[in-house]
Amino acid sequence: MLDRIDIQVEVKRPKIEKISSKEKLETSAQIRERVNKARKIQLERYKKYGIHSNAELDAKMIATFCKLDSKGEELLQNAFRKLKLSVRAYERILKVSRTIADLEGKENIEFQHVAEAIQYRSLDKFFK
Amino acid sequence: MDRRIIEYASESYPNRLRYISNPPTRLYVEGNIEILNEIGIAVIGSRTNTQYGEKMCKTFVKDLVEYNVNIISGLAYGIDSIAHKECLKRGGKTIAVLPSGLKNIYPAEHKELADTIVENGGAVISEYEDNVKADSKKFLERNRIVAGLGIGTLVVEGGIRSGTSVTAKFTIEDKKPVFCIPSSLENIKGKTTNELIQNGSKLVTNVQDILNHYKDISFSKKEKVAKDILIDIPEDLRKIYKIINNVPQDVNEIVRKTGLTIDEVNYKTMLLQLDDKIRELEGKGFVRNDEY
Repeated sequence: MLDRIDIQVEVKRPKIEKISSKEKLETSAQIRERVNKARKIQLERYKKYGIHSNAELDAKMIATFCKLDSKGEELLQNAFRKLKLSVRAYERILKVSRTIADLEGKENIEFQHVAEAIQYRSLDKFFK
Repeated sequence: MDRRIIEYASESYPNRLRYISNPPTRLYVEGNIEILNEIGIAVIGSRTNTQYGEKMCKTFVKDLVEYNVNIISGLAYGIDSIAHKECLKRGGKTIAVLPSGLKNIYPAEHKELADTIVENGGAVISEYEDNVKADSKKFLERNRIVAGLGIGTLVVEGGIRSGTSVTAKFTIEDKKPVFCIPSSLENIKGKTTNELIQNGSKLVTNVQDILNHYKDISFSKKEKVAKDILIDIPEDLRKIYKIINNVPQDVNEIVRKTGLTIDEVNYKTMLLQLDDKIRELEGKGFVRNDEY
């Protein structure tokens, strides 16, 4: 089951003083703007392919749109072996990497985007 | 940094080295020159060690350091650098003998290790002038100094016709003991050690076996302070690695302490995990991966 969940993040209960604190964080509005931009990038990119978002990419399209450089490739191979990821996990990490790159407005998926995407599969490590 | 040339005639010339069959006429030393006359054991082995070799090397070095014994080796890949690093991590002092001049550290990748050795009370030494380059002849010449500086040599692992066996041979010529960690017969890197044992070198199963050999030296156990040696951590991951310890810390704590963004912490912790430097405890956070 968990294999089908792309982003797994552990969240601790917040402390009460944290909720009311005036720490400067990104506001929901700012985040919305970032997400909208990323969606627009995806809409534009997939115009000719009849899909709208990274989530809809099939295996063939993943090969086209989620290309990694050699450093990213090596990292993912390494993670695949170490964390004993499934093929599904492999593809999903690529899609999430694509999304992280889109959120940053980057054309190519970079090494750190892949690493971050792998981190979001963290629960894979515990529930096997 | 202290950088000295020690001539054979000088008082500071290391005593043990004086009596080998072909002592260097002068030594170029960077770092602590006192250490050259202190009690030290040469720890040597293959450049392409096995996991077993690494584990044994670390265990023996750690215990030698506890007994105040310095570690002498050749700064090479494999067992040499494992021995130097473990010694530093445990708060010990170590000597690296180069097959090249001090301004041409070989291998170049170990320049930072060489600096760390000097910064931590050790020394990097060579019999060659500053800019001399390493070559295969010098590897072997260097080995006689490694053997010569120690009160004995511990051989961790070595393949067939290895440089390791040459250092062992020099030690025997100097009439000093060679200690060998035994290996499985299936371990190709155990060839040299098993052969040396067969020919009369001493099989050792722990550091006590080594220390017992020296009846007139009293080794005192001394509490050492472990040091945070970051040589094996890529530069851009050090900031995070430094604040991770044995108490689990979650992403938010790491973000707060490092001032890095959450994306950055997420990908960097992943890299450290893939490198086996840290691990994540379920529901708790990240801790360092202790090697024992």
